[in-house]
Amino acid sequence: MAVLALAGARFALADVHAAPEPIASLDLTEIAPGNYVHYGTHEERSPGNLGDNANIGFIVGNRCVAVIDTGGSAAVGRALRQALRRVTQLPVCYVVLTHVHPDHLFGATAFREDNPQFVGHTELPRALAARGKFYANALKRDLGDAAQGSEVVEPTRLVKDELVLDLGGRSVRVHAWPVAHTDNDLTVHDEQTGTLWLSDLLFVDHTPVVDGSILGFIKVLEQLREVPASHFVPGHGRTETPWPQALDAELRYLKVIVAQTRLALKARKTIQEAVDTVGYSEEANWVNFEQFHRRNVTSAYAELEWEE
Amino acid sequence: MEDAVVLSRSGLILCAIFGLVLGGLVLGQPALANEKAEPDPAKSEYWEPIRKLMFGDREILDGKDVIRVYLATRADDASTVPVTVKAQIDQTPERYIKTIYVVVERNPSPASGAFHFTPESGRAQVETRLRFEDFSHVRAIAETNDGKLWMSSRWVKAAGGCSAPSAKNRVPAALLGKMKFKFEEETIKYDEPNLVQLMIRHPNESPLAGDFDVTQVAEFVRSVSVTYDGKVIMTAEVDFSISENPSFRFYFTPHGKGELRVEVEDTHDKRFVQSITVIEGTPLPGG
Repeated sequence: MAVLALAGARFALADVHAAPEPIASLDLTEIAPGNYVHYGTHEERSPGNLGDNANIGFIVGNRCVAVIDTGGSAAVGRALRQALRRVTQLPVCYVVLTHVHPDHLFGATAFREDNPQFVGHTELPRALAARGKFYANALKRDLGDAAQGSEVVEPTRLVKDELVLDLGGRSVRVHAWPVAHTDNDLTVHDEQTGTLWLSDLLFVDHTPVVDGSILGFIKVLEQLREVPASHFVPGHGRTETPWPQALDAELRYLKVIVAQTRLALKARKTIQEAVDTVGYSEEANWVNFEQFHRRNVTSAYAELEWEE
Repeated sequence: MEDAVVLSRSGLILCAIFGLVLGGLVLGQPALANEKAEPDPAKSEYWEPIRKLMFGDREILDGKDVIRVYLATRADDASTVPVTVKAQIDQTPERYIKTIYVVVERNPSPASGAFHFTPESGRAQVETRLRFEDFSHVRAIAETNDGKLWMSSRWVKAAGGCSAPSAKNRVPAALLGKMKFKFEEETIKYDEPNLVQLMIRHPNESPLAGDFDVTQVAEFVRSVSVTYDGKVIMTAEVDFSISENPSFRFYFTPHGKGELRVEVEDTHDKRFVQSITVIEGTPLPGG
């Protein structure tokens, strides 16, 4: 493992009224040969962090590079691209958009000049159509001028089940999952090193987010548990816990919500009553709990109330 | 009978508001709200044009003793924000609330619903779930049977980050229009208000979501009509500010065994009907 480009000031502090300052440099960790990860912060996005709130990175082959998520703003995307250029001069032939969420994809514009294929789930275009404008407005609200240049990039290559990307001497398997964290989740598996990029199918420390189906999420995690991996990258957070035990905290959290929401439904509680009571035993285990937990219960209730 | 005219026209009023909004979108993006503190609802620039369209020059009285809005101040999930509007007066044949209008004033289509009640409703109250495009005041305007209008409001901060007002995933076509009743109590109680939840499987598509194909008609539930033994309990004109899989929770007062029946119509002219017979002592679905 090597830590590259650990420069002093990680960010130039952005003045919201000025044009966005570039991020001075982006920390990269080579977690397995050719697999470079930048770990985002757990903070809420702000002009100070420019939306650097998710784990992003890239895989380098002999012929070209696959980028896996690009961060929450064009500024983060540009910084990732610069960091990548310090590692390799090979062309970027793929940018994988792991799902629709803004903290993962607004940096994609920075890679347009490389003319890569933008790879997304078959459900991603529909999700982007429904949410893209709303996400862009919300980004402007939160980042101000620092959101400048952040645009939705449409996928140019869609994955229905699986797609193998040939990076030259390195095959990277992109897998499209059924509804889980969202209805457009992708994972990326570098077979050579056994490195599994999970994006937001795995949250570490950061409260997991359910924006697809909580039952689907649990089902997908049970399947992922069977996938062998020597290294793995969560969508948020980092851990020393080995694979696949690293999935267990999130699985437990989701199962607690399901069990307690079913009890609330059985007791004929309303959605608001459920939101106010379900899952608080998990509060100490996660950061950003207030921000995301109640929303997860809302979503779980709206899903589980249809169970027979 | 000006009031009767307003009642029968309320569908048109919703359409008129919708027209206004589409016009507004052509002219420019709505202003971005980034208030940290709650703005004064009386000074809202958003409310004035909506008020004029919906109520003209009619006086709107301070309504906190007649109608109130209950909801969390932060919209945890912008696609599903539980909102309850609740009468503060009894629903008697002499004095009752005929209509509650729910307005999310910064939504692209602010008039979310007009809910009509009768003395048979028992209580004028409805709980539903709304989509929020932005931070917004939510207003409930009640019209009493004497023709007076009463208003109260609540301020809601929209959720940030990846929460979005649109649907999380597709509603399978086979399930479209499937409906369920859920009751608060395990058995019915005659001669007093009983709470029931009506659930409808429906995507409730928004025509304003992203690049929705304007040559298509967005499919959303536009009307709900509930009767008990043939008597009207609640009717509503609603729109796409209501969350996917619309849910409505309201009261009805049965005076004996009878059939609770609901008819729902959407913008593709699809009609969905569901009914349930309720008898004292017989278990009711819930949970």
